[in-house]
Amino acid sequence: MTTGYNFAYLNEQTKRMIRRALLKAVAIPGYQVPFASREMPMPYGWGTGGVQVTASILTPEDTLKVIDQGADDTTNAVSIRKFFKRTAEVATTEETAKASIIQTRHRIPEAPLREDQILVFQVPIPEPLRFLEPRETETRKMHALEEYGIMHVKLYEDIARHGHIATSYAYPAKVNGRYVFDPSPIPKFDNPKLDSCAALQLFGAGREKRIYAVPPYTQVKSLDFEDHPFTIQKWDEPCALCGARGTYLDEIILDDRGKRMFVCSDTDHCRKARSGEEAA
Amino acid sequence: MTIEAMTGFADQARDSARAFRRMLDAMARPGRILSLEPDFDVPAPLLPAAAAICLTLCDYDTPLWLDASLSEPAILDFLRFQTGAPITADIAPARFLLCTPGSALQALAGAHRGDAEYPDASATLIIQVPSLSAGGRLILEGPGIDGEQDFRTLGLDAAFWDTMQDNHQLFPLGCDVFFASASGISALPRSTHIKREGHA
Ligand SMILES: [Zn+2]
Repeated sequence: MTTGYNFAYLNEQTKRMIRRALLKAVAIPGYQVPFASREMPMPYGWGTGGVQVTASILTPEDTLKVIDQGADDTTNAVSIRKFFKRTAEVATTEETAKASIIQTRHRIPEAPLREDQILVFQVPIPEPLRFLEPRETETRKMHALEEYGIMHVKLYEDIARHGHIATSYAYPAKVNGRYVFDPSPIPKFDNPKLDSCAALQLFGAGREKRIYAVPPYTQVKSLDFEDHPFTIQKWDEPCALCGARGTYLDEIILDDRGKRMFVCSDTDHCRKARSGEEAA
Repeated sequence: MTIEAMTGFADQARDSARAFRRMLDAMARPGRILSLEPDFDVPAPLLPAAAAICLTLCDYDTPLWLDASLSEPAILDFLRFQTGAPITADIAPARFLLCTPGSALQALAGAHRGDAEYPDASATLIIQVPSLSAGGRLILEGPGIDGEQDFRTLGLDAAFWDTMQDNHQLFPLGCDVFFASASGISALPRSTHIKREGHA
C-alpha cells in the first residue's frame, strides 16, 4: 500500500463492528441496528453513514458507482468516488449496469438492479417516527410493540388537509410485514423499486448511528389506506432529452422568464436512452 | 504448530473484506452455498471456513463459546491469538458460538435471542457440518429468497430443526446461523421459514 490509508480508510476493528451490525440488519429486515459511527474525513450530510457501510463491504474487486439525486457528476458523488478510488483502489463507473456497489443519495437507479449488485443508501434521519415522537426510548418501544398507529394518523391528517397523502419523499413503508422504516429521502416514485428487488439494499445513517437493510426479494409495502391507495408521481410530458416516459423527472429552469423543461434525474439512464443503448 | 507459526489472513484488510462479502451474501440469500476457502492453515478439527468467519467477525467485544469437541488447546490458542475474543465457558453470554452437529441443539437452545427493543443483541451460531450438499432436503422461504430455496446438511437431527423453527417463530428475536463445511458457507437467519419434507 502506498496511499498511507488502511484499506477503505476505516480500521479493522471499526469494520468488524460495522460488519457485525450489517449481518444483524440483514437478518432483521427493516430494523435499525445501532452502531458506533466513526468520524469520517467529510462533513455529516455528505453521507458518512453510507460511506462507512460502503467501506465495510467493499472488496478490491468491486466496481463502485456513486450518485447524488440520480447524477454521478455532483460534488458529493465525485468526492465519495475519489475517496474510495484513493483509499481502496477500486474501479469506479458511472454506468449502473457495470457497478457492483452503488452508493446513493436520494434516488434509486431507473434500470432494474441485479443479484450481483448492492445498493447503499445515505440516510440523514433513519427513524420514520422521529417527527411524531422525538424520544428514542419511545420510538424503540413502538417498534418493539409494532405500534405504528401514529404513523397512520399522520398520513390520514395529510388526507384530511390536502385530500391526498402529501408526503412525497422519505415515504414510510413496512418491510417483510413487520418493521416500518424510512427509505431515506428518495422520492416516493422510487418506493416500488424497493419491493422484491433482486439486489441487497443497505442503509447507513452516520450522525444518527443506525444501519438497516432490505434483503433481496423482500416485501416492502408503502403505507396507505384502502380508500387512499399509495400512488407515485407522474408527469404529463416525457423527458425533454431522451423522450422517456415513466422515469423520474427533474424540472430545469432554462431562463428568467420561467421557461423550463423536464429531464430524467438518472443521468446514466438518460444518456443510455439517447445513445440508443439498452439501459441494462 | 506453535502460536507464532499460525498465520491468519495473509492480507488482513483485503482478505477479511473478501470473506465478509461471502458472509453478507450468504446471510442475504439464505440457503445458498458460497465458497469460502481462506489461504491460512487452521488446527483440526476447526474448519477453515468456520475459522474465516471467526477471524472476520470476532474480537475483544464478542465473547466466543466453543463446544467440547472444538475446545482443543491448539484451537483455543489460535482463536485467542487471531481474534482477541474472550473465550466463554457459558453459552448465554456468548455473541458467537462455534459448534458441531452434536452440540448445535444445546447451543441454539441456550444462546441469547436478543430482546424486543434490541433484537440485534442476539447470538450468531457457526455450525461446522460435514456437507452442505448431502442430507435431508429442507425448503426455505422468506426474505432473501425468490420463491423457495433448497437446503441440505448432514448430521443435524429433527430436534435441532424443531428448535430452528421455534427460533423463526420468535422473529424479530432469534439467533442467526452460519453453516460451515470444508470449503463453503451457508446461512439461515432468523427470518427464514424452514419447511421439512414430511413435516408441516
Ligand atoms: Zn431522459
